[in-house]
Amino acid sequence: MEAVAPDKGHGIAAPTARAGRALRLWSLALLVVTAVLPLLPFTNNYILAVVVRALIFIALGQAWNIVAGIGGQLSLGHGVFLGLGCYVTALLFNHFGLTPWIGAWGGVLVCIVVALVMGVMTLRMRGLFFALATVAISLAFDEVAKSYVGLTGGDNGLALKFFGNSLWAAQWRTPEPFVYAGLVFVVAYYWITRRILTSQFGLELRAVRDDEEAAAAAGVRVFRTKVVGFIVSAALTGLAGALYMQFYQSIDPETAFGLSQAIQLQLPALIGGLGTASGPIIGGAVMVVLAELTNLGSTKFGLTGVDILVYGLLLLVVILRAPTGIVGLLRPSGGRGKTR
Amino acid sequence: MAAGTAPEKEAASRGGVHGLSEAVVSFDPLLGTIAQAVVSGILIGGVYGLLSVGFSFAFGVMRIVNFAHGDLVMYGMYAGVVASKMIGIDALWAIPFSFLLTAVLGGVQYQVVFRHFVGHATLQQLLAAIGLALVLGIVAQLVFGVGTMSAHSGFSGKYVVFGPVFLSQAQIVAFAAAVVCTLAVEFALQRTRWGKTVRAVADDIEAAETVGLNSQFINISAFALACGLAGIAGTFMVTYFPVQPAVGFALMPIIIIATTIGGLGSVNGAFLGGIFCGVVQQLTALLWSSALQDVPLYLLLLVFIAYKPTGLFGLRSE
Repeated sequence: MEAVAPDKGHGIAAPTARAGRALRLWSLALLVVTAVLPLLPFTNNYILAVVVRALIFIALGQAWNIVAGIGGQLSLGHGVFLGLGCYVTALLFNHFGLTPWIGAWGGVLVCIVVALVMGVMTLRMRGLFFALATVAISLAFDEVAKSYVGLTGGDNGLALKFFGNSLWAAQWRTPEPFVYAGLVFVVAYYWITRRILTSQFGLELRAVRDDEEAAAAAGVRVFRTKVVGFIVSAALTGLAGALYMQFYQSIDPETAFGLSQAIQLQLPALIGGLGTASGPIIGGAVMVVLAELTNLGSTKFGLTGVDILVYGLLLLVVILRAPTGIVGLLRPSGGRGKTR
Repeated sequence: MAAGTAPEKEAASRGGVHGLSEAVVSFDPLLGTIAQAVVSGILIGGVYGLLSVGFSFAFGVMRIVNFAHGDLVMYGMYAGVVASKMIGIDALWAIPFSFLLTAVLGGVQYQVVFRHFVGHATLQQLLAAIGLALVLGIVAQLVFGVGTMSAHSGFSGKYVVFGPVFLSQAQIVAFAAAVVCTLAVEFALQRTRWGKTVRAVADDIEAAETVGLNSQFINISAFALACGLAGIAGTFMVTYFPVQPAVGFALMPIIIIATTIGGLGSVNGAFLGGIFCGVVQQLTALLWSSALQDVPLYLLLLVFIAYKPTGLFGLRSE
């Protein structure tokens, strides 16, 4: 990278105290606004649905941020865990009448097992091979889900049996309950991320990200740290997948396991700031607003996919010009710091 | 398979599918279909190989993992469509143009994005390449629409029959081109002065600059060549495989698998890896399920990454 200024912060996970406070205030303000939004007179279901989409998006970004941002392992296969969270919750509900409140944990369990197998097979290698392997695994899931039509509904997808407003089925006709559910997720994931960042485990994860050899020399069990980070991230993604399923009511293989989904999952953290606790929140909010605006503009001209174009350009600009994301821009070094 | 239908109809009219094997050949029918799968696997795989050669070359020389490689192939395919459908000439005439187009696109990509990352396949580089792939895919969609388009060459829809085996002429031509291109790249890299400078820059960029080589220019030319190969592959492919904007992304798994199995960075390895993938895919489709034809490949990729990350022909691991 040209003109790599030496990082004046303390690595990407630790913005300076003042910037950190400002970010926390901004994140808090966003969350408070979201919490009172359903009570305001001018809101309607459309706005609330956009807010829920944003919250789910943020929660998924927060989960991905743990393995990629803090751990430095680029997983392009987190769609697998989103999909497993969705499918397991839905199948347990549809076939066994198991309430999603319990079924979601079944999804988490499956995610943990799959992440363990994936991690053990691929995380001994350097990041590149891990990234490539995760692509292959998510596409394998895609093909399998498409072909076992009896279980998954194939290409048409799988829909939850609908019970109207029901706490037991965790289904509601209006988006308000999901706003609060999404808020619980985002706040909880924020808290988990901060706990990880300040813990011994988080320190080890970051050490592995910054320099594997040095970390190993300092006594960090590199392979184990990477696998555990991957499993935590996968479990959180799977749990958020259950929320995704309850809100959208249906899932199909392309949405769950497709490559474009895996890429969208990364954008909140990338744009907001990799490896920071508030990054995915800021990034996710910015992205959903941007996506709504571009879709509003482009449907007028009958164009589809302009939001993807915006995502792609944003990704390029962020990586080339501000690799530490929006959070990094708030730091004195101006976001030109080195990330890795 | 156009030529296959005539004897089938004949057999059916004489009462029964069982007449089929007698009517066509005296071979064991299962062996016949396996031979068919292997031979068409080799032909299809040769083109997978050509798709992967440029990708592997860019990685071997500059450590660039170009996730937009599939999209460049797609631009080559659209070039064939433009020639065939809009100008009305044989799609294969578009080859020089698609080579130039994708080579220039590649040069621009290198200059704007990849030159910042030469030498390390980092997380940032992969993400930047993905961003490029998204942009290129959507631009194609805005220009050509989401629908599938096909192109025609003099070889499209024609078949050659060897005993029980039917071969698409378009695929034979594409395979031959793949062999020629792979050999040409290998020759250019190993035997020409330019190839020598490329290898020198790849080995040690600072030492190469010290002895007076212009590493920027050499890397751009190498990257443009890698991307131009994608364009050539695309134009050959579109004569038997229709194109749509999603194709660019959809090709990436097979490129990655062929390259990893062959050995990331090896040109010959990528070509042979492509053939291997084609054969595995066709045999899986025949013996198991065509909907799951790629699943064994994904599993093979995992096995290679876990136990032999240098692939069959790769020298160094990253």
